[in-house]
Amino acid sequence: MARIGVGKHLAAGVKRGLGLHTPGKSLVILPDDIFLVSFPKSGNTWTRFLLANLRFPDEPATWANIDRLIPDPTGTTKRDFDRMPRPRIIKSHECFDPRYPRVINIVRDPRDVVVSQYHYHRKIKKIADDSPIETFVARFLAGETCPHGSWGQNVLTWIATSEGSPRYLRLRYEDMVADTPRELRKIVAFLGFNTTPEQIAQAVERSSADRMRKLEKEHPDQHGLMRGSRKDLTFVRAAGSGGWHKDLPVPMVEKIEAAWGPIMRHLGYKLSTQAPSEAPDYESLGIFSGSTRQ
Amino acid sequence: MIKRLIAGGKHFLGLHYPGRNLRVFPDDVFLVSYPKSGNTWTRFLIANLVYPEKHPDFANINELIPDPEGITKRHLEQLPRPRYLKSHQYFDPRYPKIIHIVRDPRDVVLSEYYFDIKRRAIADDFPLDKFVARFVKGELNHPYGTWGENTATWFYTRRNSPRLLLVTYEALQSEGARQMARIAEFIGVPANTERIAFALEQSSADRMRELEKKQGHLWSSTKQTRQDKPFVRSAKSGGWKRELSEASIAEIESAWGGLMQELGYELAVRSMVHAGTERG
Repeated sequence: MARIGVGKHLAAGVKRGLGLHTPGKSLVILPDDIFLVSFPKSGNTWTRFLLANLRFPDEPATWANIDRLIPDPTGTTKRDFDRMPRPRIIKSHECFDPRYPRVINIVRDPRDVVVSQYHYHRKIKKIADDSPIETFVARFLAGETCPHGSWGQNVLTWIATSEGSPRYLRLRYEDMVADTPRELRKIVAFLGFNTTPEQIAQAVERSSADRMRKLEKEHPDQHGLMRGSRKDLTFVRAAGSGGWHKDLPVPMVEKIEAAWGPIMRHLGYKLSTQAPSEAPDYESLGIFSGSTRQ
Repeated sequence: MIKRLIAGGKHFLGLHYPGRNLRVFPDDVFLVSYPKSGNTWTRFLIANLVYPEKHPDFANINELIPDPEGITKRHLEQLPRPRYLKSHQYFDPRYPKIIHIVRDPRDVVLSEYYFDIKRRAIADDFPLDKFVARFVKGELNHPYGTWGENTATWFYTRRNSPRLLLVTYEALQSEGARQMARIAEFIGVPANTERIAFALEQSSADRMRELEKKQGHLWSSTKQTRQDKPFVRSAKSGGWKRELSEASIAEIESAWGGLMQELGYELAVRSMVHAGTERG
């Protein structure tokens, strides 16, 4: 037993010496790094494909190369990080980190996020197929379904520190679904990239749900997000918004809205208690941006 | 390459400082604050409350209430439980129980200014106004974000949580016994009036100054620093009223006025109150 433990430790030490470990929170951040941040299951992988296809048009993004093109500190080796062309675009699910120089923050309606995460956890066998969604929602609200805080905490750390900062761009997944080129143009402007409308159209095309599904079918075990997972369920699922209306029982919707109503309204998500005709009100949270950085 | 292999070897033996990669235990208690907000004083207060028999001082405080960024992983995992850990980190969802010490940023900046002189990060005659501008912008000698960022991540995510106890530095000063009773109840340490009074007395500014004189050259946070400047300085609040210029006060209040007001700090530049509200 002890010997196995030592062997494992030793292998980790050697990996580290060769730069083959994943840097995780020890990642050395460079001043021109760009972070693509979101709570899990908020469109991060799709946006990674979009950005990879935009930035590296000569190498269409696949499940096999995405960790190298838009690296993940917990999925990409330190060596690959060190070899990347700059500026690097890096995936993250972390709460606020003051070291991130520029941040693209994707947010998604938590009522859809919970449904997406529920199905994902079934796929990766974290929960049983018939595990009740009620149990999952309770754990989701308590921040127990992933190591990145609850949806509300994760989103709040970014709102409370970064809103209004020129180094921070927040996009809603729902807006990206509704008009992908328009939202991509916002990203391009934020990053100061020179991109033609044709390049944007190509990136959108190469990152479509259909293409991502096709790639997933061809290599269902290629990526760490689905290695060893159930093959009868797909990673790329509905790829839409508003599924919660039919998938989430009303009492669960109410629980989520009771916990995070003000944050949801702040982001422009209409609560089910609001009249359908009512416009989203982007309610002020009474939060004062801590960000005064240039 | 050799440096990397040494780092790899250290990792293997658990001799590295885990920092933000710390393994958190479910019964851990974190003493969280922005730097220069009374964290060391509170470490002494809590150490004297929890471990009076250990006679906390600068020689053993790093052992009693350690900083995961300053002791090794192996050492950290061998500490008696529950562990009381010091932290200057911004929000970390894994921290199970948090005592959050908050101090008026107008005093924090002054304290940081004098500490940076002590540790030779800036010269004696570095202009205070310029220092305040850097402080507000986040050009700092540490990786913990601005005061506003750091404080906001804890305050807004956990403000109604039973797992976070907010204690202001100012309240600790003006009503130490009452705040210590709150802390004792929060961490579940049975504390009567005598025990609290003892902890307060053992952690008084005078006693800490005395200890610093004897041990300051040994303690990790002060040993490499100028010995002609004290670490335990005024140990008071409100120094900013005398020392900060009106422009500097306005700069701080326009950046963080709203959060300061929510924490109970009255703004001095009245015109800022409105500007601060607009930003929300």
